Amino acid sequence: LHEELSGEGLVVVAIALDDDPDAVRPHTHGVTMPLLLDREHLVTELLAISNVPTVVWVDEQDRIVRPNANEFGTDTFVEFTGVSSLGHKELVRDWVRNGSVPVDAEAAGLAVGDLSDDEVAARLHFRLAVHLRRAGDADGAGRHFDRAVELAPFDFTISRAAMPLRGANPFGAEFMDLYAEWQAAGSPYHGLARRPATD
Amino acid sequence: MVAFTVITEHGGARIDATVDGARVLVDPPAVESALGWHLEPQGLCRGDVCVPVRDRLPADADGRVDLVVAAHILERAVVLDAAAGVLVVGVRASERRRALGAHELPPFSLPDLDGTMHTTSEWRGKKKLLVAFASW
Repeated sequence: LHEELSGEGLVVVAIALDDDPDAVRPHTHGVTMPLLLDREHLVTELLAISNVPTVVWVDEQDRIVRPNANEFGTDTFVEFTGVSSLGHKELVRDWVRNGSVPVDAEAAGLAVGDLSDDEVAARLHFRLAVHLRRAGDADGAGRHFDRAVELAPFDFTISRAAMPLRGANPFGAEFMDLYAEWQAAGSPYHGLARRPATD
Repeated sequence: MVAFTVITEHGGARIDATVDGARVLVDPPAVESALGWHLEPQGLCRGDVCVPVRDRLPADADGRVDLVVAAHILERAVVLDAAAGVLVVGVRASERRRALGAHELPPFSLPDLDGTMHTTSEWRGKKKLLVAFASW
């Protein structure tokens, strides 16, 4: 979309919630859009982001016209989020070319109003853990990763993002367990269940 | 006083502090180095904005004030690791809530993969799709 629409006034700003720039580089081959590295997860605090990918639409005056509602550029993760990307790119084209803004995200109650105190605290513990890990204090980092996950277990920018930083595989058994627990809890998004919990 | 690290949305700052339980005691000028807000008679100030302090931030016998209390006055959540000598301070909750509610993009700065800093204001005047992604 960036390549297609940059001549028409759109810039796609990719923000990697990663610690290691080398983990990001393989995904960036041939990419011309701005690519930022958010090791401290600043945007997850500022924009109440709790999973990836998350897309936020921002207009020329820096107004958020389509808030963080956890939607996806492909349908790979539809089951994961319950949100289809159906027509997302078409909606972006229509916004860039004709200025039309879809209102479905907020109408559907998917927009995030604010973080809870626990979600904020989880982000600060995560940030502290990242700092201590980089300073070589693995034990200290582990304690704060634990506390962060305890405070926001189904926030994937916390619980899943911590896995590779602690030597776990974010695509392995630990993640599958987390995924199963999250589904059993009704696939909550910022504490709100998307569908009734199953036993 | 020992070397102490304060981490905010603007990165890490090294200051001198004395950690006493849940208190982080600093000389008043260090409040600005740590939080970006300086202590004035009328309150904690940044630019032309001041948050009244009144009697909530008393100096101790050595003239030091508690950085944790200063952060709370600014409605900023904190996490302290006294042993590691690190205080992490969140953004102002009132400002985050207001921006989210008013659908305004809060300005922020982040580095690209080569370490060059970029600020959201660079793309003012353009439509933007912010895409948060990760390798995990």
